[in-house]
Amino acid sequence: MNGASSGRRERLEILWIVLAAGGAALGLRLAQLQILDSAEYRQMAERNASQMIYQAAPRGRIYDREGVPLATNQPSFSLIFLPGKGQARQDLEPLARELGRQLGRDPQDLLETLEEAEREQSAARLAENLPTPTMFQLSELKTLYPGVDLITEARRYYPFGRFASHLLGFMGKMSPGEWRTRKTQGYRADSRIGKMGLESAFEDELRGRDGGIQMEVDAQGRLKRKLGEIPWQPGSNIHLTIDAAVQKAADDALRKTLTGRGAAVAIDPRTGEILAMSSQPDFDPNALLSTDPEEVKRTSHALPEFNNAIAGAYPPGSTFKPIVSLAALNEGRISPNDVYYCPGFFKLGSAIFHCDKHEAHGAVTFLKGLAESCNVYFYNVGLRTGGDRIERYARMFGLGQKTNVPLRGEKSGHLFGPETRRKSGKGWYDGDTLNLSIGQGELTVTPIQMAVVAAALANRGTVWRPHYTQKIAYVDGRPDFVQKPERVAQVYAKDSAWDLVQKAMEVVVSSGTGYPARVPGLIVAGKTGTAQNPHGKDDAWFICFAARPGEPASIAIAVLAENAGYGAVAAAPVAKKMILAAFGMPDPDVEREKREAERAARKLLKPAAAALPARPPLPGGAR
Amino acid sequence: MSALKAPQPGMSGRVDWTFVFAVVGLVVTGTIAMLSAASTTMYYQAILQKHFIALAMGAGLFTVTLAFNYQVFQDQSKALYVIALGLMFAVLVVGSSIRGHRAWIRLPGFSFQPAELARVLVVLVLADFLDRRALRVQDVSTILMSLAIAAPIMLLILKQPDFSTALTFIPMIVGMLFCAGADVLQLLFIFGFGAATLTFPLVYTLCQVRFPNAAPGSLPAFVIAVSKMGWATLALVTGIAAVSFLIWRLLTWMRLQVKPFAFIAFPLIAASALLCGIVINGRMKSYQRNRFVAFVAPSSDVQGAAYNVIQSKVAIGSGGVWGKGLFSGTQSQLGFLPERHTDFIFANVGEEMGFMGAGLILGLYMIVLWRIVTAARQARDRYGYLVCAGLASMFAFVMALNIGMCVGLMPVAGIPLPLISYGGSSLVINLWSLGIVANIYARRYALL
Repeated sequence: MNGASSGRRERLEILWIVLAAGGAALGLRLAQLQILDSAEYRQMAERNASQMIYQAAPRGRIYDREGVPLATNQPSFSLIFLPGKGQARQDLEPLARELGRQLGRDPQDLLETLEEAEREQSAARLAENLPTPTMFQLSELKTLYPGVDLITEARRYYPFGRFASHLLGFMGKMSPGEWRTRKTQGYRADSRIGKMGLESAFEDELRGRDGGIQMEVDAQGRLKRKLGEIPWQPGSNIHLTIDAAVQKAADDALRKTLTGRGAAVAIDPRTGEILAMSSQPDFDPNALLSTDPEEVKRTSHALPEFNNAIAGAYPPGSTFKPIVSLAALNEGRISPNDVYYCPGFFKLGSAIFHCDKHEAHGAVTFLKGLAESCNVYFYNVGLRTGGDRIERYARMFGLGQKTNVPLRGEKSGHLFGPETRRKSGKGWYDGDTLNLSIGQGELTVTPIQMAVVAAALANRGTVWRPHYTQKIAYVDGRPDFVQKPERVAQVYAKDSAWDLVQKAMEVVVSSGTGYPARVPGLIVAGKTGTAQNPHGKDDAWFICFAARPGEPASIAIAVLAENAGYGAVAAAPVAKKMILAAFGMPDPDVEREKREAERAARKLLKPAAAALPARPPLPGGAR
Repeated sequence: MSALKAPQPGMSGRVDWTFVFAVVGLVVTGTIAMLSAASTTMYYQAILQKHFIALAMGAGLFTVTLAFNYQVFQDQSKALYVIALGLMFAVLVVGSSIRGHRAWIRLPGFSFQPAELARVLVVLVLADFLDRRALRVQDVSTILMSLAIAAPIMLLILKQPDFSTALTFIPMIVGMLFCAGADVLQLLFIFGFGAATLTFPLVYTLCQVRFPNAAPGSLPAFVIAVSKMGWATLALVTGIAAVSFLIWRLLTWMRLQVKPFAFIAFPLIAASALLCGIVINGRMKSYQRNRFVAFVAPSSDVQGAAYNVIQSKVAIGSGGVWGKGLFSGTQSQLGFLPERHTDFIFANVGEEMGFMGAGLILGLYMIVLWRIVTAARQARDRYGYLVCAGLASMFAFVMALNIGMCVGLMPVAGIPLPLISYGGSSLVINLWSLGIVANIYARRYALL
């Protein structure tokens, strides 16, 4: 028994050692999980049990020079989906069908989004900017389908709608390429970014930091409770030099031109501030954020992305003549009283160059030549001055170079002259000089360049780099950015030459071709232009500047109406409306329209009131 | 029965209070954990009610068992065996199924799971058998007869089907045979056979999951070919025989003293284990297969069985040292942790009570095991010694299987953690079996 007992003891000890080793192994494993790797597992548990529902932060507002908001934010409702653990495809299908019906979207698309969210175990945004009735219908779904929820977000809103749309730009979803570069910058796959104009140029300033609600979710993806909220941080506000009134006048007036295509730019000649920049056709940036996917699709398909004001290059036509005049006068090539006879055409060798309208102007001096835009007079002036000089002055005014307005897509136009020709190895002929003298030929300019030219004519030679920012009020505590005027060049000319050119441009408006732009009580100086367009009707141009008597000019304008015919008829009235708006004067047309609208409204109301049934008599025997 | 009313003087001095306190500690910790883990279930009230009734019954049974001499069980060994067999038959005939397992006998007022009772009964019966065979314990027949005694019960449990519970019999029997003094080499061969049987399905699953597109001729493709019982299988069996023959020749050539028996037994065992493994592999149920998959490749199937293991590990790991506090575990309370008041309750403890709580349970378990081993060492007879050895092996294995599953060291097996997991019959039976251990210890001096 003794031997068995000792054998018993021995075996028991071995058993105990095995058991103790097993216990120790489990203990070590516990220590590994709960002490060494605990932080990692804690994170996993938090990821498991929490979902971040992002809320798009309000973007910085954009104001005009008077503080009128041009781009703001509105609250909007978005439908989100929080996937539960182990939701199968068959659970998602009825949800996709239901949502497709409510939202008017393809259930298959929705199903793919839902499945993606389920695979990634992250929240997905099913619909944004929901209209209120839809929102109420959808809020019922919350109770039927776990994981569906509605959240409030900030959505971009443009109070004026179709207004400076090319300058302000619009908001849109990121392309895959944009998403790749912005992934690391705090954007999310469904973030919207500025796509054009200011929204794009100042994306970094305007964008706010998105906030979110951290929700605790259970294994089925049901939201249990709010864990915390990360407040959003709005973006920086930008104050523009734009004058909303001038901009609106320009947009409305250009839209009413013959073709509704064109551009208008207004600059303050004292500072180079852009007061208005309109390009037509334009678009409604709100429509691109619409709740109706069809409207968004339609708008983005037909989006006129081309900003005519900076990217459209056109021959300037007669609006180039003030530059020719300044060159000739300043260089002493002509005297203002020299008389040239205009028979309605000009003969150079065997070629015949016509005057506009083919009518004879007779004896023409400088004032009459500019006021009536006599081509024959300018052919003579051009030949006397020479292509080289005209080209040099044109270059000094900034033609052929970008104005470097801080917007994407600006074109430089094309400067046309002997020097440019020489560079490309071609010769220059007198016929070219004739074409250059009246702003035709290969010379092309952009409307913003002409606005800068108009401003330089108004301020006697200062060529500004046009700008539209007045101030950026940073939210992050940086001192405000305040834009200072930037002088690009100075056209040096004798005062007598400036006097004469400015005087002649005043005459253009007071009694010449620019008469439609005349504003009583203001000094308006301008020049019309009617540029031949090989693709159709002539392009109408008008450049001008305006001042209160005794004050320096405070607005310089360039208007281009594509294929609209005569500058005097099509472009000058646009400029006039802009001037009226800039000086706070009532626009008779607008007033009349308003009166008519009121009358029409009254007419509509009256019959309606008459048609209202009289109180029906109470049924007989009413007590 | 007078012992129940008035324990004999000196009884309290003989009771192993360390053991009792460790058991009470486990039950209390388990009750606290269950209060928290079950709080999100729909039947919280009913669960609590059942648990406390079972607790009272278990405590009563523990005390009653302590009161009379455990040798009664040896005397009534045959009756116990008949009861075990009868229960397991009954459960198959009149039992009710829960989730595909016909494992419950429903009686008016309560229902209970007889498999765990049968397991303890098998310990008692085997202890008696091995005690009687003390002189011939080194014979192979002892091992085979022990297995034969347990086999009917195990087969009936497999029939339920409950593979995991049947599996827990093996280490228990091995532990008892080892402590009884069986030949180690025989044990190694027989249970090496068992282990090898399980190895094949594991390897097969591993190949299937990790290398689903294995090229023909590669090892994974060969493994899958072997599973089809074709030429590849024959080749492998022949290979095993050839290799062992060559090793034997090599060893004799090196003039080492070896028993030729080993080199006949080894290929026989390896080959038959392989064939058994293939058969088991082919008959595996899909949920069982998923558990193997979850074990060999936890990341391959995040929604299925592996999901449970990952969530359990996350729960335990995220608990840290101090835990998240009762009722505050996100993994358990938000439903990420499956079976949180039953099979995975340990993960709930790990999350809500941290390393402190989980370590406490593990520590208490080790104390209980240590005391069972001590009881075995000091038992006054061989029967008591064997009962304790069997129960120690059983508790240790079940605990290691459950905790190992929760911490990701073992495959998922639907085995509750004794004394901690919710389950009325389990709690009662476990307390009763621990009462037997306390009884054996208290009567160590053969005076009572």
